[in-house]
Amino acid sequence: MPDVQSMVAEFVNKLRKRKIEGSQATAKCTVELLRSVISHQRVPHANQAAALIDAVKAVGQQLVAANPVELAVGNVVRRVLHIIREEDLSLTTAAMAGLDLLDASDDDDIDNCKGIGYPAMSAAVVAAAARSTLRPPSLQTLLEGTPESATVPYTSSSGADSESKTADKSSLTRKLKHDVIEGVNQLIQEISGCHEQIAEQAIEHIHQNEVILTLGSSRTVLEFLCAAKEKKRSFRVFVAEGAPRYQGHLLAKELVARGLQTTVITDSAVFAMISRVNMVIIGAHAVMANGGVIGPVGVNMAALAAKKHAVPFVVLAGSHKLCPLYPHNPEVLLNELRSPSELLDFGEFSDCLDFGAGSGSLQVVNPTFDYVPPNLVSLFITDTGGHNPSYMYRLIADYYSADDLVM
Amino acid sequence: MWRSSASFILDKHLNNKPISITHSIDSPPPPSASMADENPNPNPISAYYETRAAHHGIVTSEWLEQAQAAVQRYPDRENSVSPVSGSPFSVIEEFNSWRQQPDLAEAVAAIRALAAVIRASEATTMMELEIELKKASDTLKAWDTTSISLTAGCDLFMRYVTRTSALEFEDFNSAKSRVLGRAEKFGEISCKARRVIAILSQDFIFDGCTILVHGFSRVVFEILKTSAQNKKLFRVLCTEGRPDKTGVLLAKELAKLDIPVKLLIDSAVAYSMDEVDMVFVGADGVVESGGIINMMGTYQIALVAHSMNKPVYVAAESYKFARLYPLDQKDLEPALRPNDFNVPVPPKVEVERSARDYTPPQYLTLLFTDLGVLTPSVVSDELIQLYL
Repeated sequence: MPDVQSMVAEFVNKLRKRKIEGSQATAKCTVELLRSVISHQRVPHANQAAALIDAVKAVGQQLVAANPVELAVGNVVRRVLHIIREEDLSLTTAAMAGLDLLDASDDDDIDNCKGIGYPAMSAAVVAAAARSTLRPPSLQTLLEGTPESATVPYTSSSGADSESKTADKSSLTRKLKHDVIEGVNQLIQEISGCHEQIAEQAIEHIHQNEVILTLGSSRTVLEFLCAAKEKKRSFRVFVAEGAPRYQGHLLAKELVARGLQTTVITDSAVFAMISRVNMVIIGAHAVMANGGVIGPVGVNMAALAAKKHAVPFVVLAGSHKLCPLYPHNPEVLLNELRSPSELLDFGEFSDCLDFGAGSGSLQVVNPTFDYVPPNLVSLFITDTGGHNPSYMYRLIADYYSADDLVM
Repeated sequence: MWRSSASFILDKHLNNKPISITHSIDSPPPPSASMADENPNPNPISAYYETRAAHHGIVTSEWLEQAQAAVQRYPDRENSVSPVSGSPFSVIEEFNSWRQQPDLAEAVAAIRALAAVIRASEATTMMELEIELKKASDTLKAWDTTSISLTAGCDLFMRYVTRTSALEFEDFNSAKSRVLGRAEKFGEISCKARRVIAILSQDFIFDGCTILVHGFSRVVFEILKTSAQNKKLFRVLCTEGRPDKTGVLLAKELAKLDIPVKLLIDSAVAYSMDEVDMVFVGADGVVESGGIINMMGTYQIALVAHSMNKPVYVAAESYKFARLYPLDQKDLEPALRPNDFNVPVPPKVEVERSARDYTPPQYLTLLFTDLGVLTPSVVSDELIQLYL
């Protein structure tokens, strides 16, 4: 256990100092850390899912607090919690189904069950009721009593105890952890493989002799464009350099190395060039529940230009970037201000800069991210396929449980 | 619609004839008094707005006459509503007793009344109980055909309470008590909905913001009250809300809470829109497309806000989700309201008396409901899940 604590503390430190760059790397490290937390966690015989959930939530809160702007951390923690709940649910419904079969053959068991006050509902009904607790509240499930269905699986498992199925119970314990770890491994694979999944869809969206505009540098976009190139599509790429880090230059170099015809333009030239462009493709930092996009600074400008000239604005995002929260002040709350030295040279401007005391009054603001509202986005391409911005809530309902939204 | 063509002149002549015919018919449309003898215009007045007006104590002479006529009509109604068993339980009576509280929404009162029907029912089979409920629900809906939240609330109640997955019992009494339990729960949820919505929307109100509100929505008032209690600093611009003057009432209530309020006439919305950060409105009903039906003037405000890129937030409880899909403004059931212009209207001049309009979903940003924060496209999904 102390080993895990030190791992967590180390990771929290790395997050706070922004040592890990990129949402994919962050997501992977977070999931691996949570996997070790789960495997080291000792679980009691009853309510084991709750113990796991509490442990993961405690670690998750620390991680999110260390870097609240990196939404992938929170997303991935919530995914793991959802996995725990799902595995627990499928195990208990399997146990219930097993229990029902035995009840049919053994009279004592039936009396035992009824004695606990357990109503004679079929396993399917209980499963349906419990599954509804995983989905976000909807009109349909508004009246499915949550405490009621949550206690039913547990009374059934205590019923199993009284029938001296202790051997079965301990195998259930081990099974839950095992299943959860399997689910978490699958999640890691999904995160690692998101680039390939998205790149597979490139051929459907990029056509012959098209002109694509992109901004800054995104690995997803790079793989996407190269996949289309592999399939023998010939097209041109305009890369906006993405000041002040000028990562667009790196992307342009990569693209040329793979044989694509590339043009580098300044960010300010986006509006001028947009009329010659067929499609804008951007990699996102995070996608919010209303379909809004958090991207590198400058994408809002590209989105507005695209809207004005009716150019499709396509956003590529792996599923670990999908955040179940609604942005209420994203320009401020979900943004990070980086060092002004990226913009201005300290030496040259040291007499004008505002250091609090003294004569200077020049302030430099260097935001990292931009927020693009959902009405400017035409299409989201995730590893599950292409979607409308108004469809994002569906994906969120699939990946996350309502109880985990507030950690 | 014929009104957009010049043929309305012809049709008007045709319309003048039926007036004399309705004279003699004891007009069935429930919400109105047949005022054909005193008022040249026989169209029904929405009882929903009468209720709201009654709560706020606004009485016009027309309203008084209608109320008198309505009171004479109600004894008829109560006799026709007596349930199968013959006991003196009347759903309308129950409904009216709940409705008196100004804080309670009409649909919630209806839900409570229907729960009382179950409690008082002497049916012995599930089918009988369902039929009784359906009859009571139809009576309530007929009381005011124009109120969308009432219809939606009754429909949802019937849907929830009679879902077969909950009723796999052989014993009728336990089934009935379970149904009653669900009904009471639904009533409770609907009552608490406003609190939930108020808590959900707190994040969206930031310090120093200016909020524009339209009309007196009790949900929006709850939101603003909660924000004030959480010591947030914000300013409210209130439209007058003619002809009810409900905006003035809201301004009074807000001033009591020490919230800085500014009153605008309805036409000053575009003028003030650039100092506004967000618009908050309630809803009479939320329709399948994700749009809302609300007090007259909401569409206008949403259009202006949209053109100036201001977010429009709707606060609506989940029982207001209705299975309607209006394609344009005239697709709604007409709900009319007496317009008081402070001067007598010249005889040949027509008056637009509709009380509400439809705001399409593309002008709305987010809906705050007790199911959570939703985008307009989620509404149809919810309705499909429930009804299909």
